[in-house]
Amino acid sequence: MKGKRSFKIMALLIIAVMLMLAACSGGGSNNNNSGGSTGNTSSNTGGQSSNSGNTGSGSGPAEEKPAPMKISIMIPSFSTELPDKSSPVWQRLEEYTNTDLEILFTPNSSYEDMLNITLASGDLPTIMNVGKTPSVISAARNGAFWDITDYLKDYPNLSQAHPVVLNNTSIDGKIYGIYRARTLGRMGVTYNKVWLDNLGLQPAKTIDEFYNILRAFTYDDPDKNGKNDTYGVVITKYTGPWDIMQIWFGAPNKWGENENGELVPDFMTPEYREALKFFRKIYSEGLVNEDFAVMDSAAWNTPFVNGQAGVFVDVADNARRLDNAMQEAAPRDEPYTIVTQAPVGPKGHRDMPTSGWSGMLVISKSKVKTEEELRRVLDFLDKLNDVEMKLLLGYGIEGRHYDMVDGYVVPKENLDAAITQELTGMNQLLMFIGEQEPGFAPTPINAQIAEVQKANEAIVVGNPAEPFVSEVYAQVGQQLDNIIGDARIQYIVGQIDDAGFDAAIELWKKTGGDDYIREINELYKAAKGK
Amino acid sequence: MDTTINHQADMTDLDPRPSAALPKRRRSKWAKIRKDYWLYILLLPGLAYFIIFKYLPMWGIVIAFQDFSPFLGVLKSNWVGVKHFVNFFNNPDFVRLLRNTLILGFYDLVFFFPAPIIAALLLNEIRVGIFKRAVQTMIYVPHFISMVIVASMTYVFLTTNGGVVNEIIHELTGQRINFLADPAWFRPLIILQIMWKETGWGTIIFLAALASVDVEQYEAAIVDGASRFQRLWHITLPAISSTIVILLILRLGNFLDTGFEQIFLMTNSLNRTVADVFDTYVYQVGIRQGAFSYSTAVGLFKSVVGIILIYGSNYFAKKFGHEGII
Amino acid sequence: MNSSKYDSFGERVFDVFNYLFLTLFALVTVLPFIYIIAGSFATEIELIQRKFFLFPRNPSLSAYQYIFSSDTLFRSIGNSVIITVFGTLTNLVFTLSMAYALSRRDLMGRNFVMNLVIFSMLFSGGMIPGYLVVKELGLLNTYGAVILPGAISAFNLIVIKNFFQNLPPGLEEAARIDGCSDIGVLWRIVLPLSKPIIATFGLFYAVGHWNNFFSAMMFLNDSKMWPLQVMLREIVMLSQVAVGDLSAFDPEFVEPPDQAVKMAVIVVGTVPILLVYPFLQKHFAKGVLLGSIKG
Repeated sequence: MKGKRSFKIMALLIIAVMLMLAACSGGGSNNNNSGGSTGNTSSNTGGQSSNSGNTGSGSGPAEEKPAPMKISIMIPSFSTELPDKSSPVWQRLEEYTNTDLEILFTPNSSYEDMLNITLASGDLPTIMNVGKTPSVISAARNGAFWDITDYLKDYPNLSQAHPVVLNNTSIDGKIYGIYRARTLGRMGVTYNKVWLDNLGLQPAKTIDEFYNILRAFTYDDPDKNGKNDTYGVVITKYTGPWDIMQIWFGAPNKWGENENGELVPDFMTPEYREALKFFRKIYSEGLVNEDFAVMDSAAWNTPFVNGQAGVFVDVADNARRLDNAMQEAAPRDEPYTIVTQAPVGPKGHRDMPTSGWSGMLVISKSKVKTEEELRRVLDFLDKLNDVEMKLLLGYGIEGRHYDMVDGYVVPKENLDAAITQELTGMNQLLMFIGEQEPGFAPTPINAQIAEVQKANEAIVVGNPAEPFVSEVYAQVGQQLDNIIGDARIQYIVGQIDDAGFDAAIELWKKTGGDDYIREINELYKAAKGK
Repeated sequence: MDTTINHQADMTDLDPRPSAALPKRRRSKWAKIRKDYWLYILLLPGLAYFIIFKYLPMWGIVIAFQDFSPFLGVLKSNWVGVKHFVNFFNNPDFVRLLRNTLILGFYDLVFFFPAPIIAALLLNEIRVGIFKRAVQTMIYVPHFISMVIVASMTYVFLTTNGGVVNEIIHELTGQRINFLADPAWFRPLIILQIMWKETGWGTIIFLAALASVDVEQYEAAIVDGASRFQRLWHITLPAISSTIVILLILRLGNFLDTGFEQIFLMTNSLNRTVADVFDTYVYQVGIRQGAFSYSTAVGLFKSVVGIILIYGSNYFAKKFGHEGII
Repeated sequence: MNSSKYDSFGERVFDVFNYLFLTLFALVTVLPFIYIIAGSFATEIELIQRKFFLFPRNPSLSAYQYIFSSDTLFRSIGNSVIITVFGTLTNLVFTLSMAYALSRRDLMGRNFVMNLVIFSMLFSGGMIPGYLVVKELGLLNTYGAVILPGAISAFNLIVIKNFFQNLPPGLEEAARIDGCSDIGVLWRIVLPLSKPIIATFGLFYAVGHWNNFFSAMMFLNDSKMWPLQVMLREIVMLSQVAVGDLSAFDPEFVEPPDQAVKMAVIVVGTVPILLVYPFLQKHFAKGVLLGSIKG
């Protein structure tokens, strides 16, 4: 009897599964038909997709000024507890900008994939944050986004956008989006302050002084423990520090002009070779960790914090992270670290910039049909750069999330998680263009970092080829980068000599480098001709 | 003794044929299908799954012959024929990539593939149940540790700058071995990492196969005076040989898949000549630079090789009297 | 029956080495994990200095406090359990039924279906078409989007089918003479005989669901539906990659103890699923076959 019953249950289960699948396959084959014949998935997804309920696809004539405009925005999120429409921060934002917002928070780690899927589905939000990736470039060229080059000047905040950064974000000379600004001159040299004091040294002003500090940190027992257990600068598999230091020596930032006004890649310049010789020297003298070429970059901080290495060449704000860790081991009143600008080299005071932006906000043509609507969206983006909005989205509501004391923002302590959540992730909407908003009162180390980064703006060396979109690079760029990147490391550790490096350059040229140079120069000429 | 209950009354409705009688060998197809209708009902959900979730999206393969842009979609993107295949085969690094991929795949097959089998057989020889279960539970733990962590640990142990292994070697020989930078050590390290991480996990499937070996066979063999080794050779191994052959054929289908993450993490400027494989190349050229079409083309090449290897090995398996996968 | 009295000297030597070798192997595989557990209780500075192995000198719960500071984590554990349980059940129903049908050599059209399965193992349409299919089926933002697109693993299907083919044919014949239909044979003979293989592939599927974050991130917009692994990934991201970005405009941003948090994330993310295996182990015991037939 028992057998019979279980037998029937099994049969029922299978029938249920079949019914479910029958329903599924019906939907699936429908999709196949319409997708196959009309060829445009967007035509049949707009209406029926499950999440398009309040995106306001048919936003209609937005003539009556008081009616809030419906705007959907796709931005990355770094958190899992995100605000919704009930958040007072969100409500104030809508009120201030007269909009009805749908913020599509997308986890940063899958952002790139979701962006491509969104592009492919044809159902684009009003505004999305994008980088200059090939699929975005192709979408821009094929009319997915509004060209806003000629509009920016009409807006009080947007007109203040940095022209160099705008140029970097442009595609074929046209500006499609408003960049989200980041510190441009972010780099700095961090030293172990205790070691400098022990040896009676000052942070380096010149490359010679820099070398002397590395030597002293390696051979003069900077930690006064009587053992030969220290070295100068710690570097990992991540080649950032080499990239930064070669700029000090006068090498261009990726591309530089030669005497004929043509662009040449950095590694073909004599300054680059000078820098390389210096690197090789400090490596052979043991001033760099011996295993840098294979070192796990997750362990980069370790030797500095543990008092094995005394110099760190990276972003200036790392001085704070290093200090925090060392304070945890043995607290003291003064910071353990001191951070300065790059030393002055033979070609003057130079340092490497960041790209200065982290994504740009583009406006889709499928959601914004008319120029009038475009003006309203731009007005919205402009308003996001008002000081009120920077404070609101960055710090929350005064009296609820923070207080203002002496012109500085002081966050409320022990806030309820629900109140913190009202604000989480909203700062990803900010572009940081225009007037600077008030911030936190700086600690000594933060004041130092801010000073270095401010001063850096005058000495950073831009990459003249950054705005260009190269077809050759898209094809073989990674191989080209590997050829030179590997040769550089092999040169530094002494596996190859100058002849070997020249051979690598020849290989680079043959692998597509010659075409790459030609293409970049054509683009360069065309851009200059305008 | 449930099995003896007679279902005849129930079954007659469903299966009017007397089950023992099969007078004609050639029945009409329809009758055959009707006879097996339960099997088709069982087959249907799975078949529907494959059609909906595997074959409906299959149109995505055509982008290998396009310059695909997600915004334009498959119908508006430019058709470029076999351009991406030509670029791939004409790539100056193609021969090196192929060589590295094949060697690594071969090492994997020779050294890693047998490891779980040997481990399962060794475990099978353990008679103390609690010890066996404890070992089993411990050795499958690394499967859950991500490759990033494995690579980090490898660095910490092997670095010439204070790594434990090199400190020991230094004590003994006065020298240090640059495991991480020396191209000669790259492949052994990759295989050792994967053996450490996946051997225990791999034993599970063989232990399941071993669990179905009839205990009476062992008892009979012991009575006949067979040694441990003879029992292993004549009872245990044949019992799992079919599983081994199936897994081998399936592994060959993925022969060119070396895995991306592990290799990428272990590659550096000093060992790249031996480290670059198809998977890392596709990642660097395709995913990073958004070249959907190019990476699809390379994937298609790998799949064609895989399907040839699967059907080829399946053919040989059958020829040598084993069951293939079909 | 105690068989050791039949062992030769050589066999005993083999036993000694076997025990030694397996003990060593087990230690080598499990010690790093123990270190990770210990490290998750350590302070950041202890981890950087690497001055302990199994017991941190100043045990600290701060990494766990950081992870569990939100109640969303408990909800996400619940979501993971739901996805894992229902996902695995779906997998087993789909895979076992199809594998059984395909294990019958006389089934018409069997080769065609097998070729279809093998082909799909190697060729796939890629991410975007897959996403569009799920979207068109209306599965977005449902757990169906996480479970159904992976309902059958072709690899598992083929191995299970092969296992079914190798079951002693006599039993099925006998059942059929008793009047069982095909489904009766599957339910009353084949499945009980296949407990080890069901346990094995149930485990494989369950681990797959438990560790899966990608399709959840793709298909579930609502963060209330996210499983544990998505949450944990975001925590790790926040504790490292995003720090530079956030601290750029928030100088007081409290940097979380990233190494200890990473370790605690591994512990929280793996221990629940690790505990499943020991419970399944009894199904791997020898004699299952005989027991099920005689019982």
